[in-house]
Amino acid sequence: MSHSETYAEIDRSAYTNALAKCSPITKTFFALSALIICASVSTIIVPVVIFITCTILVLSLAKVKACLYFNLFVYPTYMLVLSCIFLALFFGSGTTIAEIQLPWFTWSIFKNGLSMSITTFLRVEGALSCLFFLVLTTSITDLCVLLRRVHVPQVMVEMSMMIYRYIFLFLEISEQMSLAQKLRLRRSGWLSSIRSLALLIGSLFIRTLDQGERTLVAMNARGYDGEIRILEDFVSPRKLVLLGIVLFDVLLIILLFLTLNIGVV
Amino acid sequence: MIFKLEKLSHRYSDGTLALDEVSLNFTRGERIAFLGTNGSGKTTLLNHLNGILKPTSGSIYFEDKPLAYDAKSLLNLRKRVGFVFQDPNDQLFASSVKQDVAFGPLNLGYTLERVKQLVDDALTTVGMTEFADKPPHFLSGGQKKRVALAGVLAMQPEVIIMDEPTSSLDPIATSDILHLLLRINKENGVTLLLATHDVDMVPLFADKLYILNKGKIVSEGTPKTSFSNTELIREVNLRSPRIAHLFEVLKKENGLPIDNEFPLTISEARKEILRLLEVTKEQIKKS
Repeated sequence: MSHSETYAEIDRSAYTNALAKCSPITKTFFALSALIICASVSTIIVPVVIFITCTILVLSLAKVKACLYFNLFVYPTYMLVLSCIFLALFFGSGTTIAEIQLPWFTWSIFKNGLSMSITTFLRVEGALSCLFFLVLTTSITDLCVLLRRVHVPQVMVEMSMMIYRYIFLFLEISEQMSLAQKLRLRRSGWLSSIRSLALLIGSLFIRTLDQGERTLVAMNARGYDGEIRILEDFVSPRKLVLLGIVLFDVLLIILLFLTLNIGVV
Repeated sequence: MIFKLEKLSHRYSDGTLALDEVSLNFTRGERIAFLGTNGSGKTTLLNHLNGILKPTSGSIYFEDKPLAYDAKSLLNLRKRVGFVFQDPNDQLFASSVKQDVAFGPLNLGYTLERVKQLVDDALTTVGMTEFADKPPHFLSGGQKKRVALAGVLAMQPEVIIMDEPTSSLDPIATSDILHLLLRINKENGVTLLLATHDVDMVPLFADKLYILNKGKIVSEGTPKTSFSNTELIREVNLRSPRIAHLFEVLKKENGLPIDNEFPLTISEARKEILRLLEVTKEQIKKS
């Protein structure tokens, strides 16, 4: 999948998944509470439980395609693995588990360094699964309405709504422009491809200014006065589900304390 | 008299005179079409009626009062005169269909309940209820156009102005939009003004036709009388509807007994052909 296809797929999933009609409050509450628990303490069992729960929710309850869901993990995991190798090799103190004799010094790998590396890996993957759950099941519109309800500044919500709308419009325009360049035999050399890209970016920039102007005129024609009002209309959460999430969080915290002393290595 | 224009002129900042002393009157409930080539001044004219452009000279009266351009009067005008833009991508800016349609009514300061009702009604009228929660980039061109119309309908205007309502639409979407407009005009008594260069669409829609050329009104009347002046139509680089052209050729080249007011639509053509058949039958009987 190309990048733009992945974005479009994520967007499509947010509107068409089986949990799309579920209240955004419920989904955000679940994802954020699990995220906070996952990220706050360094143990190994709780992040694994959270990862498994989110994966089950995304795949079997929201019925998102497995390949889309796991694809999202690929890039962050690259970065994460690199950082974790770094953590394991160069951090920590105290008990060592391995000592490598090099000609000029002794390289020690410490027990708590390795443990930190593994817990960090699990915590990040667990936290990512919470975020991806939210991203794949909740539409931007719902999130914006929610942000407005919790009194995030108006201007930020307005900007996010419009940026979201125009990302897709300009993505389409830039793809058309790029295709038009290719069809007119854009040369494939490095220098000329940079030149074509510069042309594309330049004309896209002019397009955005032009589009902004025309959209403003159209908004004025419907009585725009400098403030975009959002229709605060969404499904209110089911109390039983909210209670279930609270129970789940309490269980996680109990599990957290029970497993606090389980070492990694 | 809902709108009255007196010697309206508009000169753009680059010096082009887009409108040259246009004087017009519209009555409530009319369906009016403005026909002209690209650059004939249609869009400029329509942009004046909703306060988007200010006249360089001349005046516009809405219900006998001259247009005022302060924020409050403009809001009041725009509540009553809706404008549907040619490119729906200019108009749809919100992240979902429902939010976009709600934009106008929310600007008018209605209660949440009332706005929801207006949004539902507007989406039902244009047949887009099932797309209420979808983002605009999920929709086809025809669907976007209908949502753009719903965004204006939700403000319950008395006049709807549409710039090229059928451009870049496929035949089915074109006919859907036309039927929708006719229904809104008939059921809600909304005055419709539209700019177009689709000559075949005009007789199906309009009961009054203005032809513009180089910023001037060159013809005013019903589509039937306007299109019968074939010399003028050619002079301003337009053409007659295909059906009218066929009858014109039949009259000129084959000498068939057709009056100067050529039929413009299929139903009119059918009547005319049946009449011609009767005439020929009688001639055969006589001989």
